Amino acid sequence: MRHLLLIDEAEAEAGLAPAGDGLYTLLVGAETIPVSLAGKILTVNGKAERIAVAVDGDTVFVHLNGKAHRIDYREPLARFARGAAGGGADAIAAPMPGAVVAVNVMAGDTVAAGQVMMVIESMKLETAIKAPRDAVIEAVHVAAGKTFNKGAALIALVPAETA
Amino acid sequence: MTQPFPFDTVLVANRGEIALRILRTARRLGLKGAIVFHAADKGAPAIAAADIAIEIKGPTPVAAFLDGAQIIEAARAAGAGAIHPGYGFLSENAGFARAVAAAGIAFVGPLPEAIDLMGDKVRARKFVADRGFPVAPSAIEDDDPATFAERARQVGAPLLIKPSAGGGGKGMRIVRDLALLDEEIARARSEGQRYFGDGRLYVERFVENPRHIEVQVMGDAHGSVIHLHERECSVQRRFQKIVEETPSPALTADQRTAICETAAGIARAAHYRNAGTVEFIYGDGEFYFLEMNTRLQVEHPVTEEITGLDLVEIQLRVAAGERLPLAQGEVPSNGHAIELRLYAESPARGFVPTTGKVLALDWPAGPGIRIDSGIAKGQAVTTAFDPMLAKLIVHGATRAEAIARARAALADLVLLGCETNAAFLDRLLADEVFAGGAVHTGTLDARPDLAAEPAPTPDEIRRLLAAATLSLRPTRDAADRIPALHAAIGAWRN
Repeated sequence: MRHLLLIDEAEAEAGLAPAGDGLYTLLVGAETIPVSLAGKILTVNGKAERIAVAVDGDTVFVHLNGKAHRIDYREPLARFARGAAGGGADAIAAPMPGAVVAVNVMAGDTVAAGQVMMVIESMKLETAIKAPRDAVIEAVHVAAGKTFNKGAALIALVPAETA
Repeated sequence: MTQPFPFDTVLVANRGEIALRILRTARRLGLKGAIVFHAADKGAPAIAAADIAIEIKGPTPVAAFLDGAQIIEAARAAGAGAIHPGYGFLSENAGFARAVAAAGIAFVGPLPEAIDLMGDKVRARKFVADRGFPVAPSAIEDDDPATFAERARQVGAPLLIKPSAGGGGKGMRIVRDLALLDEEIARARSEGQRYFGDGRLYVERFVENPRHIEVQVMGDAHGSVIHLHERECSVQRRFQKIVEETPSPALTADQRTAICETAAGIARAAHYRNAGTVEFIYGDGEFYFLEMNTRLQVEHPVTEEITGLDLVEIQLRVAAGERLPLAQGEVPSNGHAIELRLYAESPARGFVPTTGKVLALDWPAGPGIRIDSGIAKGQAVTTAFDPMLAKLIVHGATRAEAIARARAALADLVLLGCETNAAFLDRLLADEVFAGGAVHTGTLDARPDLAAEPAPTPDEIRRLLAAATLSLRPTRDAADRIPALHAAIGAWRN
């Protein structure tokens, strides 16, 4: 499975597959790269280096080459791909960093196009997150009062007929 | 000769790195350290480092630190015989200094009269000019409107015309050719009228590409005043200092002596006590008095690095009535020191303050590296206070060695969970303008390219993706759900 990640807010795709003995294969584009992370030692294609990593939920901060980077996990690409195939699945991502003011739906709820699912506050403005189409809520990723970063997954939808 | 202190407890009316730094010296001198803190700083190392910590409250965290009565009350409760205000907050508030003295507590700073004098910029400038020290030539229309144009001409070119009622740079005009002076005055007058409803003007000599050079002074209650050399603070962004160093790469030995002796002379004339900094504008070999800050400055560590002195110790001893521990001729000056201010901010987004949580923290260490920090792992970084997280101070035998050491220290500095300006600082140090020592106060604002964050290389992206997918639960879990054999076959079939 390929995943969508944001490296310092720039989109990148990658997959990870096990290669046995605690080793993994990183799938980037058409490349398959042997990788492992043991403690603070990252090995990529046989080249080992010391890094620092700090995980905070679906965000990971990496200190590499004397610089700090932020990588945010986004919904698996499969879900977007299904949407692209006409299934109408969708992941609602935060347009900018902010905080959740109110959550009006929960997993399993059926929503109609235009229905307000969530209210967020960002840059001192309240924004209503509306359903882009008739759908079923697959998951609500953030709770009222929580803050989130740009690109964070807020709500996952599945087409009404697949639920 | 040092004597026992007349007080056994010092209260620090401040927070963050400066509070921790003051407490460190107090403890070394055998004094007890007390601190006031606001709940917004819960978990800060300075609170844990104090012998006594007293919570203060206010409508905002900053307001709590500006509540002098509450702080004096806390000092009484802690049994503190002295209050050190640090920098910012109440450090240059003459009313607070008076109230502290009236409470029978030693204020670790200058006399209230000196704070009053230097706090009034117009009065301070007149005080300095009247005693023959250099201030930028100027002419104020209000002094004698009839002779204003003639007095403005005597200021000489280049000059700057400002509306008396002005601010924010509106209505200011630079005149480089005195033949155009009369029409520029007429234009500035009508602009002042339009912007501020007031056409009165003020003219001063304009310094092209000025540098900001300041001098550390120290006085005691017995009439002695010395200087502890200069600091170069021209690396600024919108008047906010970012990098400071000493000695200044701009001064010749003679200019250095002249600027430092001028600063000591100004402090002596003001019967100055305790630590202070005299700031100058420097350009084209000339320097002019700008203002005097009547407190310990953020950048005092670079002075400590080249002199080997502890400025907070001298401050405490002077406040206790002792004489300065050394004479002017005994002040050392060894090597070169640079201070970098680490801010929680995003240079690529116009330097907006950033927030987060310190998830990983590893300070560089080694010879010639000093970290003055007030943060700890696990601490939240909020916008409740100033965004400065820490100061990285390096010392080397030469400027080149200090720069190399600073860059190596930045590369070793690990702070994850909150965006900082560390990479920007490194780009700045690597820039040839800085390396050549040719920075002036306008350099940074004219170089947006330094703020831009270069994108990671394709190789770095692969390594970052490896680190991220191996660390993040969703990607790791997804991989672990695939049997290894199946994955191997799948990869092979592709």
